Amino acid sequence: MTIALPIRILLASSFLLLAACGDSGSDFSRPRETRNQPVELVLLEDGRPHPAVLAEEQLVRRGNGEEPQTLDPHLAEGVPSTHILRDLFEGLTTESPDGDVIPGAAARWNISRDARTYTFYLRRDSRWSNGDPLIAEDFVYGLRRSANPETASNSAVMLLPIQNAREVLAGELPAEELGISLLDEFTLQITLTGPTPYFLGMLTHPATYPVNRRNVEEFGDQFSRPGKLVSNGAFVLKSWKPRVSIELEKNPLFREADQTLIERVVYLPIEELSTEVTQFRSGGLDWTNEVPNNQFKWLQRYYPDELIISPWMGSYFFGFNLATEPFVENPELRQALILAIDRQVITEKVTQFGEQPSFALVPRGIDGYVPFSPEYADWTQEQRNEEARRLYELAGYSSDEPLRVEIRYNSSENHKKIALAIASMWKQVLGVNASLVNEEFRVFLQNRAQKAITQVFRAGWISDYNDPYSFLEIFRTGRRRTKLSSRNCGCDAILDEVGTERVRARRERLMFEAERVLLSDFVIIPIYTYVTKRLVDQHLRGWQNNVMDHHLTRYMFMLKTREPEAEVPAAKVEPEPELVPEPELVPEPEPQQGVNDVPSSEISDDEDMDVDGTSGEIQAEVEAEQATRTRKEGKGL
Amino acid sequence: MSNPVLRVQDLAVNFCSHTGGFLRRKERVLRAVNGISFELHASETLGIVGESGSGKSTLARAILGLIKPSRGRVMWLGENLTELEEEALRQKRKEIQIVFQDPVASLNPRMTAGDIISEPLWTFYPNMAGLQVEERTRGMMKMVGLLPNQINRYPHEFSGGQCQRIGIARALVLNPRLVICDEPVSALDVSIQAQIINLLKDLQKKLGLALIFVAHDLSVVKHISDRVMVMYMGCSMEVSQRDALYRRPLHPYTSALMKSVPIPDPKLAAKARQDRWLTGDMPSPYNPPRGCIFHTRCPYKVKRCEADVPALRRMENGDWVACHRAEDLDLSI
Amino acid sequence: MNQEGILRHSATRLLGLIPTLLVLITIAFFLIRMAPGGPFDSEKVLPPEIRANLDAKYHLDEPLMQQYFRYLGQIITLDFGPSFQYKDWTVNELIARGFPVSLTVGGLAMLLAFLVGTSIGITAALRQNTAMDYSIMGVAMLGISIPNFVVAPLLILVLAVYQGWLPAGGWDWSIQRMILPVVTLALPVIAYIARLTRGSMIEVLHSNYIRTARAKGLPGHLVIRRHALKPALLPVISFMGPATAGLITGSVVIERIYSIPGLGSYFVQGALNRDYTLVMGVVIFYGVIIILLNFIVDLLYAWMNPKIRYDEVQ
Repeated sequence: MTIALPIRILLASSFLLLAACGDSGSDFSRPRETRNQPVELVLLEDGRPHPAVLAEEQLVRRGNGEEPQTLDPHLAEGVPSTHILRDLFEGLTTESPDGDVIPGAAARWNISRDARTYTFYLRRDSRWSNGDPLIAEDFVYGLRRSANPETASNSAVMLLPIQNAREVLAGELPAEELGISLLDEFTLQITLTGPTPYFLGMLTHPATYPVNRRNVEEFGDQFSRPGKLVSNGAFVLKSWKPRVSIELEKNPLFREADQTLIERVVYLPIEELSTEVTQFRSGGLDWTNEVPNNQFKWLQRYYPDELIISPWMGSYFFGFNLATEPFVENPELRQALILAIDRQVITEKVTQFGEQPSFALVPRGIDGYVPFSPEYADWTQEQRNEEARRLYELAGYSSDEPLRVEIRYNSSENHKKIALAIASMWKQVLGVNASLVNEEFRVFLQNRAQKAITQVFRAGWISDYNDPYSFLEIFRTGRRRTKLSSRNCGCDAILDEVGTERVRARRERLMFEAERVLLSDFVIIPIYTYVTKRLVDQHLRGWQNNVMDHHLTRYMFMLKTREPEAEVPAAKVEPEPELVPEPELVPEPEPQQGVNDVPSSEISDDEDMDVDGTSGEIQAEVEAEQATRTRKEGKGL
Repeated sequence: MSNPVLRVQDLAVNFCSHTGGFLRRKERVLRAVNGISFELHASETLGIVGESGSGKSTLARAILGLIKPSRGRVMWLGENLTELEEEALRQKRKEIQIVFQDPVASLNPRMTAGDIISEPLWTFYPNMAGLQVEERTRGMMKMVGLLPNQINRYPHEFSGGQCQRIGIARALVLNPRLVICDEPVSALDVSIQAQIINLLKDLQKKLGLALIFVAHDLSVVKHISDRVMVMYMGCSMEVSQRDALYRRPLHPYTSALMKSVPIPDPKLAAKARQDRWLTGDMPSPYNPPRGCIFHTRCPYKVKRCEADVPALRRMENGDWVACHRAEDLDLSI
Repeated sequence: MNQEGILRHSATRLLGLIPTLLVLITIAFFLIRMAPGGPFDSEKVLPPEIRANLDAKYHLDEPLMQQYFRYLGQIITLDFGPSFQYKDWTVNELIARGFPVSLTVGGLAMLLAFLVGTSIGITAALRQNTAMDYSIMGVAMLGISIPNFVVAPLLILVLAVYQGWLPAGGWDWSIQRMILPVVTLALPVIAYIARLTRGSMIEVLHSNYIRTARAKGLPGHLVIRRHALKPALLPVISFMGPATAGLITGSVVIERIYSIPGLGSYFVQGALNRDYTLVMGVVIFYGVIIILLNFIVDLLYAWMNPKIRYDEVQ
């Protein structure tokens, strides 16, 4: 009895608890927090927000995923670091709110006829945050530092298109031999190994940023510390408490400081996705890095205005290990497995995040490229299953002798759910006996690279820059950036051609061909293309969705909170005559905000490479915002 | 004779315990002490004897108020202790003290001998000067035969007998008028038993204490008691003057106890074993026999014993006995 | 009592720490390097030139034994080296920033757990087998069986999101931000300590010397305080050694859910990222902490239990 009674009480209390949960279940699921509504956005005639609608405190708190690895731009790796560095520094080029590449520290540039030499003309009035003038030499210094083997930058991949970069990184040539030269104090020339249409986009990546020489030489390894770091971006580093916060302050010396509305940015490293959501809901965050899958439906229902979903430059797929049986010489089997997956079910029932089902490698909407679409992409799933069964039998398998295969993925709830769905679809359609194997990330990477025990494996790619080449390149056997492919499927030669082709249309055709070859060899199982998903406070405006998922804080601003009594008379918003009330659903600041102040005298009559570059002989002095839709770096998984 | 200092009247202690599951809960009552009455005079020693489980220790603690009695009264100098509030009862500790059975376990192992002995002083005389306390403590130690320089030692550094001396010193330090010794020597070696008994006897004489001496064995109380009470299953079987009892027990149970005393002489021991008839276990205390509580083990039982409960009645010589056949049995040794 | 004995004992124990640590370092060093994958592996494989530069910078290109002895030489100077992952910081700096946070949260949680746990444990013991005893122990059972990652989000939801009384997470050394993590961390420990205290208190209360103390005429509260408390707390003290070590070295779950910059996440992140120096630094640091805490518990134990001291001296 001494035992019996406590247990009974325990049972009773747990029933109570359950009952309480069950009772108020409907109440629990509804958010109870109060949410302030912003005032309507009112724009001035020049497209900037009217001062009357701006919040008094222009502070934005951005959830930023994991703790950034570094604030040394040349060591930067991982999305969290690069987000912050984009606010702190500015490269030769930068990005507009919608992700287009626009002039940054360079006001304009020329591209040589062979598309290998870029000449950049810097703005003459730019300064470092310590007051030093920003000159071309800072970029030379920065790029050489970035390429220097002693720096050991692992994002130096971004420099590889530059002449001699590979040799410098390998220590075969001194950093001075890097293909970059100083023409005068404000002019700089970069020579590339070959035509690289996305090079301007790469220049928005931190690995190519300038650093202040005095600053680096004074503090050495520690120059990126708060109080020490000198930067040239819209913001300066105010404080950095590891795993607590990184606080940036508006840089009054930034060239467009008068247009930067946010006074303070706080980046909060919050690893746990659900914590981001609770912090957002309790008013501690204006912008989350992501939202957890399992809360998506709920957020969609109760936070429809805050939940932002937008296409992202990434593909999610599975791969076959072509080095071992049963996949070595068995295209029928591979195709059968590709066909027997209902992607619609995976995106709509399993991941439920509005991802786009995909039959190709390159996501749609990258720099205007239309990915290859195999004929079965247009079939119904029933037809695909039919064909899959035919091919499966052709490959010599049947219900008596089913295929046994392992699907390997790195431990994650999402990967597991998808792998499970795939396994059950294969089972249902073909009778395949697939088993799931999950591994810790780095174990998984090693096994995948070794190609010994792995059979079917999870993979994904989020592009470094806004160019389809980024996706195709991973299946090059020579470079082996991912070690995904083990044999030359015939696209290496095509990719080599892509690398030297300067004519956009031809280059696009080549890439299309490479993708066709790749997909017709059935080496991957495309599943879907990625989306970004986050919560954004309705007060925070000025940003736009873009496939790069790069959002510079300097375009953002905070709206005032609507006074409770002002809620009733809606007409009260525009009392002043000069206001132009323009209630916009999606904040759309002037699209070319970044370009506005480029001195028009410096813009020559440019020709657009897209159209006229085909002739191959014009020297195009290009105003960047038109010439390139190149965007750059994203980072992965 | 003067008025008794302690008068115990119809004292009973019941213990309840529960059996069965949560739903079929049954309460069982154990009558550990069942209507005991006796008197004790100043400077007198009463021995209480019984087998283990006879309720003698419970009785001792109930007198002290360490256990709440279910019935009856404990009159101490005309005041009913059972009706006192906790605080008032606590104050009576100055006058009534107890010495426990297991001397080592009864001492807090984390306190030194000095702390143990002096703690009652600190408790009841918080204003007493430290020096005075120490002096009294050392005095007590000397009185019970300990070396005063052992004052800072811990219980585990003493032998069992020494520990009991500490226990006695601790009990006497407040100058009580009554000390209840609850089997003070049963855990000790025989040689040490005698020392402790003699010590208690001396102290009693010296301090004029009233003493209740509980033991499970008649030989232990023989030397110290003025009167002896024999208990069986919570009831008083006999209360007699010591000499009378040892010469001629009135109750068959007393006689049985006496015969079961281990005898050092092997010859006599062999003889004793022959007519050792206190066999069989004590009946379940939860379910005591009807009639005379002892009849299940009594060789002299008659029909009446199974039906009527014999009252504790006074014999001609002034001793008390609870046996129907007390007059016609001659149990003298 | 015996200061000399305690000193000698302490000195021996502290000396014993050195070989223990050496073994710990050696095992940890080779174990983490045996784990598949390396610090610079990622979905995007680095070009060999870049990989070579990184390996050279962190001496990963040297033979393993050479790296081991290099590492030993380095930690003799108490330098744990630079973190592979958090490149702007040294491991020493990360520990120096993370540990005070974990120590504060864990220490406060332990303090809270000790005070509340022993109080309710004693309360339950003194009212053994009453309704109050059962309900306290029932709740304690719940406290033990409901894991942190369930309690924490509930607390956040109710107290931070709905009521807005406390911040949902983050860290700035303010009391408000400490409350939720400390309470969450303490809850299961409170429950455990309460059960432990109750059990041992009941046992102690049945012991003979408590009876003696009552017989002496001590008021009830003094009986508990002077006689029953110390022995009843002995099992709690021996539980608290490892438990405190567990709490002050940082709980990954709590740190993630409340977004606290403690030491626990560094350990886990370091291990997952194969951040060799960080993992090693934290492991060694943990080792020292745990050894020290056990040592403190031993001393406390001896202080509370003279018999042990006696045996030591013997």
